[in-house]
Amino acid sequence: MGGIKEAELPGLGKKYQVELESGESVVVVIYDEGHRELFYFPAHESEPAFSVTLTDQEARQIGSIIGGAFYQPKMLERLEMAIAELRIEWLKVAPDAQVVGKSIGDLHLRKNLGVTVIAILEEGQKGKKKTAAINPGPGFVFAPGQTVVVAGKAGNIEQFQEMATGKGA
Amino acid sequence: MLVNLSIIFLLASLAILIAKKIKYCSIPLLILLGIFLGPNAPQFWGTNLSLIQNSESVELLSRLGVLFLLFYLGLEFSISGVVRNSKTIIKGGSIYTGLNFLRGLALGWFFFHSWPFALAVAGITTVSSSAIVTRLLVEAKRTANPETELILGIMVYEDIFMVFFLSVFSAYLTAQSSSAWLPAVAGGLITLAFLGAIFFLGQRLGICFDRLLNKQSAEALVVVAFTFLLASAVLAEAARLSETVGALLLGLILAETSQAKKLVQMFTPFRDLFGAVFFLSFGMQIDYRYFLTVVDITAWAAGLTIAGNLLAGVLSAWACGYRGAAAVNIAGAMIARGEFAIIVAGLAASAGMAGGLQPFAALYVLVLALVSPVLMKRSRALYNFFLRLRKIAVKTQEREISPGA
Repeated sequence: MGGIKEAELPGLGKKYQVELESGESVVVVIYDEGHRELFYFPAHESEPAFSVTLTDQEARQIGSIIGGAFYQPKMLERLEMAIAELRIEWLKVAPDAQVVGKSIGDLHLRKNLGVTVIAILEEGQKGKKKTAAINPGPGFVFAPGQTVVVAGKAGNIEQFQEMATGKGA
Repeated sequence: MLVNLSIIFLLASLAILIAKKIKYCSIPLLILLGIFLGPNAPQFWGTNLSLIQNSESVELLSRLGVLFLLFYLGLEFSISGVVRNSKTIIKGGSIYTGLNFLRGLALGWFFFHSWPFALAVAGITTVSSSAIVTRLLVEAKRTANPETELILGIMVYEDIFMVFFLSVFSAYLTAQSSSAWLPAVAGGLITLAFLGAIFFLGQRLGICFDRLLNKQSAEALVVVAFTFLLASAVLAEAARLSETVGALLLGLILAETSQAKKLVQMFTPFRDLFGAVFFLSFGMQIDYRYFLTVVDITAWAAGLTIAGNLLAGVLSAWACGYRGAAAVNIAGAMIARGEFAIIVAGLAASAGMAGGLQPFAALYVLVLALVSPVLMKRSRALYNFFLRLRKIAVKTQEREISPGA
């Protein structure tokens, strides 16, 4: 995609020019009165080949169709499924939680639960800055007040959540 | 009084509905109706066609109409948009407006041999009508073309030029005596100072007004803004400037406030309502019987405007980097004249300048209103014609070279 150019049209409204990979371009003019006009310029042409005028409501509808809110192509659906399995959660370690005082290695988190700890954030005390341990080693010990960022399947995350916060999802 | 007003608005609605039907700007139609159904209407078989009179109340409404027109123009103006493209706009606008103004001045001097008239003719013929031109651009489906940005930019430049011109011209007219140039220069300087202040202190001025206008109800906002509008007109008059200058400057200032969008929405209906009265009432002041006496100057002015406009348009387009069909499009788009021509003619008439300036302005606006859509639509053909000319020239050159090679 070649990029989007924005231009002011004094007295009329605003113009957005979208250059396509094919060299053609699509121009949207949003008039101050609210209606839109859509122009199509073939490659290397300075005159539009055709144009459509849309009311505000029509423009919104077509916009949501193009944006995929009405109907999603199959390819995008499959992609979403793959990601749907994965969950990333931010959990705060409770003072009386199971995990307090134990290290990642002690709990065998990855082996037993299939959960990976991505990072652990510690609140600095008395005005100190927040520290973050990214991708912590197996020797890292959980303490109350830490925020743990974990990734895993939804069910497994729930199990870990119980251990870390004392509450189920 | 109300009967007269209701007939006036009946005619205005008629003109606007017809204009909508034939997809054209209503200004020429309003003027025409004013001419042929106003106090100077023709008589057919003993019946007078005169339906409406230019009473005091109509005059007041039309005066408000000009104020709203110019206030709106200033209000819609966005300094940020201009500053972003200031280089091209200033370059293109200066060339275009400068050439057109000089052409107008020469024309006026040639016909009247007097400075006030030369200035008036220049004022009438220099600036295009943004109302008509934008309408035509939308109609011709050219709003998305790259060169349209420059066309609209030049219109904005013309508006600013017109504030300056109106202040110089009105100051010159009010002091039209032995040394009228001095107040004219002073008037110009005052406006220039104002414009400079708005450009450089725009946001700060905006904040001052913001305190007054912010968090007000719609009712308060519209009344306060209207009061400002009247006050600005009075102040401008006190400074011996045209009240239109005051209205435009106020619009420019309020455009910098955070309420600008709301004000534009609020004042659009006022502009449409009273602006229509203004154009009708301008038509009413014209006696079409004078048209014959101004045919020659109108023909000259229209012909020279078209030729000069094409030349100035192509030159400024070229200077701003537009080539080929786009340059011809720019040149052909800005032929129409309208509101400013009429404002200048009205200003001259109120200062007691006779000599047929008003019928001239009316006829001139009408002629160009008829010609400009044709030129706009045919600019492609015009360009093709240029191309063919060039091809012929190139071919003859080749022929001259080839026997030698």
